[in-house]
Amino acid sequence: MKLKLILILLPLSIGASAQEFDKNLATARSSYSAGNLENARFALEQMLRDLDIAIGKEILKLLPAKAGALSAMEKEDNVTGSGGSMGTGLYVQRHYGALPKRASIEIINNSPLINTLQAFLTMPMIGGMMRDENQKLVKIQGYKSQLNKTFDAETNKTDYELMIPINNTLVTVRMDDANEGEITAFANSIPLQKIAQIAQ
Amino acid sequence: MPMNPRITFLCAVVLITANTHIDAQVLNRLKQRAAGNVENKAGQEIDKLFSGKKNQNQGTQPGGTNTNGSGGMNGGNNPSNTTGGGLISTPPDVKQNLTDAEDAYRKNSYGEARYSVQQAMLGVELEIGNKILSSLPETISGLPKDATRDQVASSGFGWAGLIIKREYEKNNKQLTLNVANNSAWMAGVNAYLASGAYTQQTGGQQNWKQIKVKGYRSVIEYNESSGYKLSVPLGQSSLVMLEGINFASEQEMMTAANAVDFDGIKKMLGEQ
Repeated sequence: MKLKLILILLPLSIGASAQEFDKNLATARSSYSAGNLENARFALEQMLRDLDIAIGKEILKLLPAKAGALSAMEKEDNVTGSGGSMGTGLYVQRHYGALPKRASIEIINNSPLINTLQAFLTMPMIGGMMRDENQKLVKIQGYKSQLNKTFDAETNKTDYELMIPINNTLVTVRMDDANEGEITAFANSIPLQKIAQIAQ
Repeated sequence: MPMNPRITFLCAVVLITANTHIDAQVLNRLKQRAAGNVENKAGQEIDKLFSGKKNQNQGTQPGGTNTNGSGGMNGGNNPSNTTGGGLISTPPDVKQNLTDAEDAYRKNSYGEARYSVQQAMLGVELEIGNKILSSLPETISGLPKDATRDQVASSGFGWAGLIIKREYEKNNKQLTLNVANNSAWMAGVNAYLASGAYTQQTGGQQNWKQIKVKGYRSVIEYNESSGYKLSVPLGQSSLVMLEGINFASEQEMMTAANAVDFDGIKKMLGEQ
């Protein structure tokens, strides 16, 4: 019954997104033709938001269903499209597993914040983050990435974070209580090139 | 929806790097950020890395030939550019880009659709910018405009928004008028004005204070080396910044500011 409800509602939600895009497109066209430039710009911002959401949903479809033994928590999937305002671009997040051991994938796309991050990642001396034993550069599917390790002396557990900048997209993979092999295996299961192409 | 911790951290990294301590410098930082200060700093670091190698390459080649002359290896025979047609300055065709966006969307090519919408936004913002420029006075306080330096810049994203610039100049006196709209940094400016701080003095010299210009709450600052700066927030997401060089007094600067039609600019930007 639940599956039937999802199957009925899913095309409705996709249809609703398309309707929003069409509505905003019509507003942009009519406002621009009428010389109402500010209204046209607002409608274009909404269109960018609609497109960010659509791209985010396509990206979610590509993400792996599992992170090692951890299953995806699809109910917690998060897609946010800012339409360009406030500088956050597109944001996609998926969690895996439950406490105390969780993993996550975060994808930021089309955000000016990435330029700053790439400066930090490619030139760590700018951020004052000189390389230490808790940080190293690795290659994931050919992409240079920064691997960060955090050790908690109280719990005796090590958490990992992997940041992979690809053009105008930043993919961040996190895993609690893991080792380097686990997180790199998880990152290698993500179709990075396809995600970068969709988001381009 | 509360802001994701990751986004909050990223914003904090940028803001902390930009030194958001509430003082007059934050207004300068706004301009520097728009120009890409992080990229400038990266360039400086690159220069530092390679300056050692540059110094090693200078000097005398074996055989005693000095290589620093104009005909030498370091002076080189690289030509300097003296000709060229520049770049095509036609703004994007808004209507065509909207059509392209629709076509791409129907084919589920969302990345392509987004690019077309960004181009359309660029076109619209450039038109808004040019409309505002043409509404600005020809002269302010006896200073004629320098139309060759008029600038309109748009990112097409909306985050850095729209930036419009005009200069007025005569002899060694200059007034620069900047209009920033729809910028992500507006939150910082309004927070700065809402902080309650009224003024700041250093060594008895007043550096900045809140002031009203044509009914708009603003901040004016003065620096011996850069002159006067007046920042006037308009509505929710716009800012007009006036920079006066070699203005004799605060009153003279305010007289120039009063020549600007802030209400008109606000209306053209769609602010309430």
